[in-house]
Amino acid sequence: MQGETGGRSDGEIVRAVLAGDRERYAVLVERYRDRYARYAARMLGSADAAEDAVQDAFLRAYDQLAQCQDPNKFLGWFFLILRNRCFAEQRKYRSQVSLDAAAAVPTSDRSDVGTETAERRRALQKALMELTAEQREVFVLKHVEGLSYIEIAERLNTSVPSLKMRMHRAYDRLREQLRDHA
Amino acid sequence: MTQHEFDPRVKQLLDGELTLADLPAELRAEGEEALRLLAGVDRTSVSVPAVTWRVMAALERRRRRLWWLAPAVAIAAAVVLLLGRPSTPPTTLSATVVTVRFVLVAPGAHQVSVAGTFNRWDPSATPLVRSGTADTWVATIALPPGEHQYAFVVDGARWVPDPAAPAVDDGFGRRNSVLTL
Repeated sequence: MQGETGGRSDGEIVRAVLAGDRERYAVLVERYRDRYARYAARMLGSADAAEDAVQDAFLRAYDQLAQCQDPNKFLGWFFLILRNRCFAEQRKYRSQVSLDAAAAVPTSDRSDVGTETAERRRALQKALMELTAEQREVFVLKHVEGLSYIEIAERLNTSVPSLKMRMHRAYDRLREQLRDHA
Repeated sequence: MTQHEFDPRVKQLLDGELTLADLPAELRAEGEEALRLLAGVDRTSVSVPAVTWRVMAALERRRRRLWWLAPAVAIAAAVVLLLGRPSTPPTTLSATVVTVRFVLVAPGAHQVSVAGTFNRWDPSATPLVRSGTADTWVATIALPPGEHQYAFVVDGARWVPDPAAPAVDDGFGRRNSVLTL
């Protein structure tokens, strides 16, 4: 994953920041904050929690930037920091992640979304919060972020069969949770 | 397989490896149920524009803390060194500063600030206040002579170059206004 969207590459910016041009870090934040806010929002069930997680992940990434062994792969490296942050948050607030949290993800409340669609979204997000973080993650990466099993396996450094097993369990649990909405 | 488990072929449908037409007739209803599940997937983007300045402001606060610490240590050392020495007349350095008034007309804005080379691009350092009409925001600050680059920050997220000043490309797709004193 080499980010290079209409400007200097991630690698060039990382090297500039490490050389002391601290302000350039804003370019990386600007470039990727929204891309991963959706992942964090679906993982944590709250847009506010997602914003905090993304912010914290960028600060941690800055602190550890010298450990980014391949600056051209900043994006994949950053994702793992954010992922760890989301999983830690999940463990910390497992008992507090209420089923109402799904309603805190604002996208379902958009006025251009029909009532039925909004209700389906809320129900699915609520059911997703009942999965384990590992099951939820593979579902989010595949069906929300649109990644293939191969891409997810590369990103998480795991195998496709183990991802499929995780996902298929997630399908069954979601079916159970969503019986009333089917 | 319990009553809640999808048939393996329906899971393949969910994975995108089969279509509904590939399923045998007896699995079509289950397949349709599975697809309704996916219809609830929300791919709407989530925007967190404030994260950029919050991250950069946090980094700036950290840097300032370090800067405060260094002079404090230096002053403490100087006090120790000067104890017992005859006092010398103080030297007064009078630095020339120029008072600058920043003005932005920003209809509908709730908050406006100016960030630039003079405040380490910290959007929270120099807020503008409403003046006269509700849409006009002003701030008056003293700056040293030289060239300063800056931009207005509207509602903590939108970076706007000064329409009344020349601007330069910052090399990263954004325009910085330039003030030469």
